[in-house]
Amino acid sequence: MKTRIIVKLDVKPPYVVKPVHFEGLRKVGTPSEMAKKYYEQGADEVIYVDIVSSLYQRDIIFDEIEKTANELFIPFGVGGAIRSMKDISRLFHIGADKVAINTYAVQEDPSIINKSAEVFGNQAIVVNIEAKKWDNYWECYTDCGRIQSGKDVIEWAKEVEQRGAGEIFLQSVDYDGRKRGFDLELCKEVVDAVNIPVIVASGAGTLKDIKEVIEYAKPSGVAIASLLHYDNLTIQNIKTYLKNSGIEVSK
Amino acid sequence: MIVGVINYGISGNIHSIKKALEKAGGVVKIVNNKNELAKVNKVVIPGVGSFKDAMAELEKSGLLEGLKEIEKPTLGICLGMQILSTLGYEYGKTEGLNLIDAEVKPIIVNAKVPHVGFNTISVVNNNRLLDGLENEEFYFMHSYEVVNYTNILSLTNYEGHQFVSAIHKDNIYGVQFHPEKSRESGIQLFKNFIEL
Repeated sequence: MKTRIIVKLDVKPPYVVKPVHFEGLRKVGTPSEMAKKYYEQGADEVIYVDIVSSLYQRDIIFDEIEKTANELFIPFGVGGAIRSMKDISRLFHIGADKVAINTYAVQEDPSIINKSAEVFGNQAIVVNIEAKKWDNYWECYTDCGRIQSGKDVIEWAKEVEQRGAGEIFLQSVDYDGRKRGFDLELCKEVVDAVNIPVIVASGAGTLKDIKEVIEYAKPSGVAIASLLHYDNLTIQNIKTYLKNSGIEVSK
Repeated sequence: MIVGVINYGISGNIHSIKKALEKAGGVVKIVNNKNELAKVNKVVIPGVGSFKDAMAELEKSGLLEGLKEIEKPTLGICLGMQILSTLGYEYGKTEGLNLIDAEVKPIIVNAKVPHVGFNTISVVNNNRLLDGLENEEFYFMHSYEVVNYTNILSLTNYEGHQFVSAIHKDNIYGVQFHPEKSRESGIQLFKNFIEL
């Protein structure tokens, strides 16, 4: 299977920001203009993550999401502040193909995974996991790495699969935005624990980091943010490098 | 020539499909009921949701009867292809539109399911729908597959498991992948459908 190269847009509406430890630090552009740029470069997917709305109990900013969806002819996932079936339905109607749920499922009601998977299909429901490393386990965090949940990441990954999630979007609270490589053990353990696709995020600082996590953990996709937003690297640079390293990717 | 995109109510990514059809040069109308179905020349059945819910929604909107007897060129996408079949097994056993003699079953493969990502198609029967698209990459996102042996247009291989990625019978077409999410290849497929 071709490993998907996915662009992650961390959004503090109305801008994409550079997050370090999930804190939005600097504006890097608008979601729609950046999504278009990466689509044209050959991204396999775009995921838009609103990194503040859940924490501030704000509603989802639908306009910018719709505008972003309009630029894309590739899959578009949306996460952040999703609290109801109504939110999910509206996101699909304005052009999202997948929704990524975290806080609400972890803190309020995990059955939103079951309900939404039954209505929208498993493949459309992504569970976003924010993992924080402790001595000998990882704990699920919510609200963009701010709130502890007490849930074990591996157990939760298995549970969301049982509940009907079609994909896991795995982020690391410790490694996100630091560009020092991925939490390889975390990625591998989660990929091995479930039979649904796992997208790994948080840590791509060099081309080698991406190759390393693909070879070691065999995720279905790798999500990249800072490396693209700042380092003049294009999706094609990444794909060419991976192809030359013997890793299968799409055109 | 107007292409009608079926609106399922709660589920269905009609927005993406409308946009891609327009990019391919189509004039698009969203079809919400039987009267609107009568006014379009071609039909696209989108594909987000589960088999059971999709059939329930079609029944609720009154579109079910019209679609069961459809003779206009019709293209089902992903779940929209699956419901062209006789029977589906997602969340229980559900009758489909029965336009193509097929059943929809879970993908059984020694790999991750759903099958998600870009994959290539091998055309096994030439048809204008897939003109120029042999071995092109399309985006797949599905946990179920259409089991059919007689109406196959293309096959796709997922980690050693071969499944039907496009079907065709008379005026009825179905693709398991998402043309609206498959870059230029998808737009080309929509152009081919519009020009059929």
